[in-house]
Amino acid sequence: MILSTATWTRLRKGWSIQIRVIHALIIRELNTRFGRENIGFLWIVVEPLLFAGLVGIIYRVLRGPEEHGVSVMAFIATGYIPITLFRNSIGRCTAIFIANSSLMYHRQVKILDFVISRLVIELLGSMIAYVFIAAVLMAFGQFPVPADMGLFLAGWALYVLFTWSLCLIIAPLSEMSEVLEKFLPVVTYVMIPFSGLFTMASWLTPDMRRYLLWSPFVNGMEMMRKGIWGDQLTAYWNVWNPLGFSLVFIAIGLALCRHIRKDLAVE
Amino acid sequence: MIVCSDISKSYKHGSVRKQVLRDVNLSIVPGERVALLGRNGAGKSTLIKLIGGVEMPTSGKISRHMSVSWPLGFNGGFQGSLTGYDNARFIARIYDRDYCDIKAFVDDFTEMGRQLKMPVKTYSSGMRARLAFALSLAIEFDCYLIDEVILVGDQNFQRKCHAELFEKRRDRTMILASHSTDIVRDLCTRAIIINNTRATNYEDVGAALDIYSAL
Repeated sequence: MILSTATWTRLRKGWSIQIRVIHALIIRELNTRFGRENIGFLWIVVEPLLFAGLVGIIYRVLRGPEEHGVSVMAFIATGYIPITLFRNSIGRCTAIFIANSSLMYHRQVKILDFVISRLVIELLGSMIAYVFIAAVLMAFGQFPVPADMGLFLAGWALYVLFTWSLCLIIAPLSEMSEVLEKFLPVVTYVMIPFSGLFTMASWLTPDMRRYLLWSPFVNGMEMMRKGIWGDQLTAYWNVWNPLGFSLVFIAIGLALCRHIRKDLAVE
Repeated sequence: MIVCSDISKSYKHGSVRKQVLRDVNLSIVPGERVALLGRNGAGKSTLIKLIGGVEMPTSGKISRHMSVSWPLGFNGGFQGSLTGYDNARFIARIYDRDYCDIKAFVDDFTEMGRQLKMPVKTYSSGMRARLAFALSLAIEFDCYLIDEVILVGDQNFQRKCHAELFEKRRDRTMILASHSTDIVRDLCTRAIIINNTRATNYEDVGAALDIYSAL
């Protein structure tokens, strides 16, 4: 055995503390954000649902029921749910440390836990929304039975991983520079065309495709859609792209978080 | 045992850097009750925050070999928009305690009744201090970090604190920042004066108080 038993016990203890803290943070966050009134935390589900649903309907009206052989409603939904997850997660992680600094009074709460717990909340909300919207569209014959669930989940996981790695960088950076904080909403908006939301890479010219496939989001999205539609569409992806970008960003993000924790002044 | 070795702390604001503590070395043995003395802004609260792990030292190392409470003071540790009970539940969760036990103790110690169902931001500083004390007493730490608060409460609160902290838990370690010479003289076993970014240790509390009064 490489690790001694003492190290193992310490690791296990640390792990259980971390899980406990994240659990507590999630409940606390849900309480503060949604309160206990009206539909409460269901809002995290309703928001992506409304987004994907309404935009889907608009496209359905503008473009007709099908495009490139797939249902327009379903295509938009599969694009919008991940992008709402991404945009909300980025929005939620700006100025996260100052806003939560009173929790730094408890040593077992690490700043990383904030970033994790918020992403988990967004993740839960968007996954429930995804299942819900897919079920509804399926009932109307607008959504296929996923051809390859494993591929879909792998794409989703990569998409989420990359989103989280970005949050990990943006959270500390937004603390250091106010300019960045102001620019973020614009940037996340401008990047929509590069997220693979409206198009498959195969619908583009080879040149465009080559550039677009540099985007980790596009790779994840292609995998998800291939997983859903299977042979009905052609997809291009490279697993190593989102994986590589995420790992590099996580490394940078962790270093930045460590740096910011050192100077964090708590009232 | 808590050991601070060569800790320094400075705060940066824009291009200005303010040195608050420089090369502080101290070790605190279980059972000691240490007073932190110093003028306003000398760095008492900063040292307490560093020992509590709320903020990180700019350089140096702090090692804790016993469980240390969070700094009990006017603010910190609570989420203002949540109720007293919600905060208690959160703290019970992260410290892995049974919420029912904690709740019972908080009800009894704070005597705040229905106020506990109100958001913490509506509390006075005295009420916050009550809640913070109640929670930290319910969790049971080996070492309590106390920043000033004993003095803010009313008579009843001060009596309770005295009974719970200095009688029932006499064996615990305590680090106490205070301006009250009476409290320090009665309760502390040694004193540290922070002046001009330096911390000086005095085994004789009386002597320390004399020096402190002359600052």
